[in-house]
Amino acid sequence: MVESKEPPVKHQIVVEALSHTYRPARGREVLALEEVSLAIAPREFVALLGPSGCGKSTLLYLIGGFLPVERGAIRIEGAPVAGPGPDRGIVFQHFALFPWRTVRANVRYGLEKLALAREEQERRAQAFIELVGLTGFEESYPSQLSGGMKQRAALARTLAVDPKMLLMDEPFGALDAQTRSLMQAELYAIWQRTPKTVLFVTHDVQEAVRLAQRVVVMSARPGKIKATVDIALDRADPHIYRSPAFAEKVDEIWNLVRDEAIKAQ
Amino acid sequence: MARLILRVAPWLSVLAVALAWELFARSGAVTPFMLPKLTTVLARIWADAGSGDLAHNLGLTLYRALAGFAVAALAGIGLGFAVAYNRAARWLFDPLISVGFPMPKIAFLPIITLWLGFHDVSKISMVVFDAIFPVVTATLAATLAVERELLWSARNLGASERELLHEVVFPAALPQIMTGLQVALPIALIVCIVAEMKLGGVGLGGAMITASRFADSPGVFAGIVEIAIAGYVLVRLMARVRARLLAWHPETAAPASV
Repeated sequence: MVESKEPPVKHQIVVEALSHTYRPARGREVLALEEVSLAIAPREFVALLGPSGCGKSTLLYLIGGFLPVERGAIRIEGAPVAGPGPDRGIVFQHFALFPWRTVRANVRYGLEKLALAREEQERRAQAFIELVGLTGFEESYPSQLSGGMKQRAALARTLAVDPKMLLMDEPFGALDAQTRSLMQAELYAIWQRTPKTVLFVTHDVQEAVRLAQRVVVMSARPGKIKATVDIALDRADPHIYRSPAFAEKVDEIWNLVRDEAIKAQ
Repeated sequence: MARLILRVAPWLSVLAVALAWELFARSGAVTPFMLPKLTTVLARIWADAGSGDLAHNLGLTLYRALAGFAVAALAGIGLGFAVAYNRAARWLFDPLISVGFPMPKIAFLPIITLWLGFHDVSKISMVVFDAIFPVVTATLAATLAVERELLWSARNLGASERELLHEVVFPAALPQIMTGLQVALPIALIVCIVAEMKLGGVGLGGAMITASRFADSPGVFAGIVEIAIAGYVLVRLMARVRARLLAWHPETAAPASV
C-alpha cells in the first residue's frame, strides 16, 4: 500500500518528488501536484484514480512531455523527459482526431513521420484500423463517426506508431456506459495482444479495478499519491463485474477516494 | 414538381421585386428618368453586352476587386499567423488592427490618390486596405483557438514545429479563415466600385458615374443590376470553394443556407 522509494525491478517510467504549479493567465496559482513519486514497470497497466482537479491529467501531460518539469524529475528508461515522443503514445478524452483527415489518413499521420515507404504506411494503417474494428470506415471523416468509433480511430492512430507506453487521459470518459464497457474489454484484449506499459487516468473506480494491475489513488488539491492498491483479478473473465473479489476491491478503493471526492466538491 | 418548386422558391422574392419595379415604372407615377422600366434597363445591358462595353467595364472592375482581394487574402493570412506566433509582430500590429478595423478606410482614398494616382494601383490598394482586416482578424482568432490536444497529438506522433504550422494549425484554422475571406470578398467588390465612382475611368463604378453625369438613367440602373449579379456570382463561387476545401466539415454535409 505504501509507495516504495527503491523499486525492486527496473522501471520504465520513474517519477521522483514531482511538484507542479498551474498558472492560469488570470487568477490564482494552484499547486496541482506536490511531491509525487511513482515507478512503473515495463508492460504494467497502472490506473491513476482521483477526483476531478486532483492533477492526474497534469501528471500524465508531464510524463508525456507536453508540460515542462519544474520541480522533481521524470525519467523514461533512465533518461529525463525532454518533450513529447512517439515512445509515449497519448490518447485524449475528446479524441483529438484531425477532423480534416479521414480515418485512414489520421491513422497514417504518425507513420508519415517515420519515413516509411508509402505501401508500408498503408499496410500498417489498414492493420490497425482492422485491429480496432473500423474496417469499412477508412474513408470516413471523424465528424461522421460516433464517439466510440472516434476513440477507436484515435487509439489506432496512437498504436500504429507502436509506442512502448500508452498514456490514456480518461479515454472512455466521453462515451456512453455500453460503449465504455465494450471499449474497456477491447483495450484489455489489445493490451494482451501487444503488451505495452499503460498509464490510464480515470475517475471511475470500477473502470480502474476492471483494467489495471495497480491502482494509484490520488488526493485532491494539491495532488498527492494517497495509496497504491494492487489488483489481482482474472481480467479475462467477461463476468468480472459479478465476482465478490471485484466488489471488494471497488469497495476498498472507493473508501479511499470518497473523502477526496467530497473535498474536491 | 415539388422539387422544381423548391428550386424556384428562393428566387420568388427577387422575381417579385423585379415585377414590382416593372409595374411601378409603367404606372406613370414616376418619370422614366427617376425610374426607367426594368425591361429598358435589361435591354440596355443587352446592348452594352453586344457592344463589348459591358465586358470591358465588368472585366476591369473584377480585375481590380479580385486582384485586391487576392493580395488581401495572402497578406492577411500571413499577417494573422505572424501576429499569432511572433511577439514583436503582435506588439506592432495588434493595436493597428484594433484601431484600423472599425475605421472607414475609404476616407483614405484622397491620400491614396495623392500618393498613387488615379489608376489601377490606387484602386487596388484601396481594396487591399479595406479587405485585409476581416482576413487578419479571422486568421488571428482561428489560429489562437486551435485546440491544445490537436497540437499535442501531432507533436506526440512526431511532427516538427514547422510541420505543426501547415499540417495542423492551418487546416484547423481554415473554416474560420474561409469565413474571413467570405466577408472580405464582397467588401473588395464594394470598395472597388466606390473607388471607381470617386476616381472615374473605365469600370462599372466609373461607367455609372459617367452615365449619371449625362443624365443617362437606364445606364445608372444597368450598372446597379450588373453589380448585383456580379456580386451574387462571386459570393456563390466563394461558397463553392469553401465547400470544396472543407469537404471534411460537418457543415458541408448539411449546409445552413442556400
